[in-house]
Amino acid sequence: MNKNKLYPRYFAFGALIIYFVLFFLPGLIGIGYSFTNWSAYSDELHYVGMQNFKTVFSSDENYMKIIENTLEFTLITTILKNVIGLVLALLLTKSIKLLNMHRGIVFMPSVLSTLIIGMIFKSILDPKSGLLNTFFRSIGLDFLAQKWLVSSELAFGSVMAVDIWRGVGYIMTILIAGILSISSDYYEAAAIDGAGGWAKFRYITFPLILPTLATTTVLNVIYGLKVFDMVYALTNGGPGKATTEVLYTAVFKKFGTGQYAVGTALSSVMFVIMIFVGIYMIRVMTKNEVVE
Amino acid sequence: MKKSLLASVLSLSMIFGMLTGCAQAAAPAAPADQGAKEEAAAQQEESEDTADDAQSEGSGDDVTITFMASQDWIQDAEMELGEKFTEETGIKVDYQIVPSDQYESLLMTKINAGECTDIFGGQSSKFSIVTQFDVEKNAVDLSGESWAGNVDPAAADELSVDGKLYGQPIQDVSACWAVAYNIKTFEDLGLSIPTNYAEFCDVCDKIMAAGITPIYECVSDGWHHVCWTEAAIAATQADPEYPDKLNNNTATFEGNKELTTMFTQLKEMADKGYMGDNYMSNQYADAPASIASGEYAMVLYNQGLGTEVNAADPSFDVDNIGYFVNPLCDNQALNVNYCGPSRFIFSGSKNVEAAKKYLEFMASDESLAYMTENVGKFNQLPYTNAPSAYSKVVQDFYDRYPTKVAVFQASVKYYNPAWMDIGADMSAMYLGEMTPEEVLKDIDRLRAEQAAADSDPAWQ
Repeated sequence: MNKNKLYPRYFAFGALIIYFVLFFLPGLIGIGYSFTNWSAYSDELHYVGMQNFKTVFSSDENYMKIIENTLEFTLITTILKNVIGLVLALLLTKSIKLLNMHRGIVFMPSVLSTLIIGMIFKSILDPKSGLLNTFFRSIGLDFLAQKWLVSSELAFGSVMAVDIWRGVGYIMTILIAGILSISSDYYEAAAIDGAGGWAKFRYITFPLILPTLATTTVLNVIYGLKVFDMVYALTNGGPGKATTEVLYTAVFKKFGTGQYAVGTALSSVMFVIMIFVGIYMIRVMTKNEVVE
Repeated sequence: MKKSLLASVLSLSMIFGMLTGCAQAAAPAAPADQGAKEEAAAQQEESEDTADDAQSEGSGDDVTITFMASQDWIQDAEMELGEKFTEETGIKVDYQIVPSDQYESLLMTKINAGECTDIFGGQSSKFSIVTQFDVEKNAVDLSGESWAGNVDPAAADELSVDGKLYGQPIQDVSACWAVAYNIKTFEDLGLSIPTNYAEFCDVCDKIMAAGITPIYECVSDGWHHVCWTEAAIAATQADPEYPDKLNNNTATFEGNKELTTMFTQLKEMADKGYMGDNYMSNQYADAPASIASGEYAMVLYNQGLGTEVNAADPSFDVDNIGYFVNPLCDNQALNVNYCGPSRFIFSGSKNVEAAKKYLEFMASDESLAYMTENVGKFNQLPYTNAPSAYSKVVQDFYDRYPTKVAVFQASVKYYNPAWMDIGADMSAMYLGEMTPEEVLKDIDRLRAEQAAADSDPAWQ
């Protein structure tokens, strides 16, 4: 390798300094604060050891349920957004009428404000006067009219469904770009060999869009672990104690009540989870990448 | 070498440029040309002309004060007065109304981050304004304002720390959360005002048998269903020292007989269907319309429901709404609370003087009269210069219950700040996720958390 062709290392210093000061350093300071009794009620700061982490993992608290909720949300929305996004991407890369209009309609929710979507869906999913239940009742399917956001069985599923509806268009768009970048030569050759639609997808499309799927998965996982606004707008963590509570809504509430130290401890737990998930994902996703 | 030197210079200038861009301007930028200088001078003159208005804030035309409050705290009448205030002073008012279930978290986050609005709405309480809002640090002392002496002493006490007044009452605190009922429905069904819980259940059963949902409840707002717990005054009546014992951490909520009964009865009311099918998703704002429709017969409300129902349906007579006290735990005392939503000026505000002007405007004779006239639930705002508008129905209600007991929000530390969390616990209780005993235990935990954060010596 010709070393003269490489940019010198100090070219990266500016970016590294900015990243360190604005992202890494606050993260480290946050972890430091999680070992103190930092709160809005006192200007004094004392080291309390693992006390805040004991609170987070205590069986008397419901933080473990909140961590479980966050991981469940991430897993389910990531899988479904990828699967539905892929199906839509496959459909909308065919020669069909009004192709761009269809793509636009599916993509549109992604550009709307999450909070506005949350407010609208809160109204649509109202059990008494919401659009969805009114529709079910009008066509005689009363048994389908449910308490979407206020029953402990359905609330979390409803929140995830709305989030999937909002995010699937974005994933679809990325996957469409991935599919369109595959050379048509492969498909022509496969057709000559007698390959059907499924075989073409299984042996050409899927392997070649794996890097794109890796990207969408990473995006979905990061979004899922950090989800806040959708849950905040739809249920604010309810109904009940923590039916739909996720880490960021819990952190927000802890900061809201001035219990900063517990909030930062919770964020630190989240930070560790994200590191492990990130490392694992990068390893798995880059293992069998197919390079065209 | 030249290349690397150039790269270094460029990198340094980029960082320097960025830091300069990020830096906060210490002073207004100098006008670029003479014309701009003249304009700035003219503006300065205009600013000086506006007499006592905050000179540092520029002229009234340039000032917009922000006022954040929970849904239902800022009435239409107040916003109408806000327009008049703008006409008179040139100071614009930007009302930021936040859904009630999200308000407390948002407010506290903003206060704690030092980025709150010029005026913020908050519940008064001599305990929580210290423990929750830390008003001595986060709010402006209003003791010297012209209207401060007009605030009702009992209401002022809940807004004061060490004799200094930090807030201004928004609502009528003489009103209490009582069961408001449709008088005609009661007459049609031959029902009379219940005097204990058993009679109340009997009334609910008969209303249900007539095909009407007895109680309109709205859990989704996060706070309204907690108002039923004002029946906790039964515990104070059973042991007048109980609030003090709770404040000294020598007693707990868990195990208290009256409080256990109260939560058990609340759960029973939901289970028996007295609150209908949609109590978890109903909204407080829809209560007047729901009562007007005849679909519901009762709702826990303050003494202004008649006017609000009449506004929702003009054919509904204002005096067709009567009141009786919350009958949980067989309570027959009036649950008084001089705490209520109040306006505070954020100490970090850049528009303190303009905000003070707004508060002065809202406490004027004309504004108080306008609010009383135009907001149904305001019968007697807590100011000596506010008019009284008690109707016969409301006066009868107050006369019927001579015993008055202060509610827990006013008498027990760390209860009010836990209000929304208690609401979440009660919501879990309705869903069957928690028992009444667990709710009480959790209230003890919530209070202990607040006390620990506050370094309360009683919890050391």
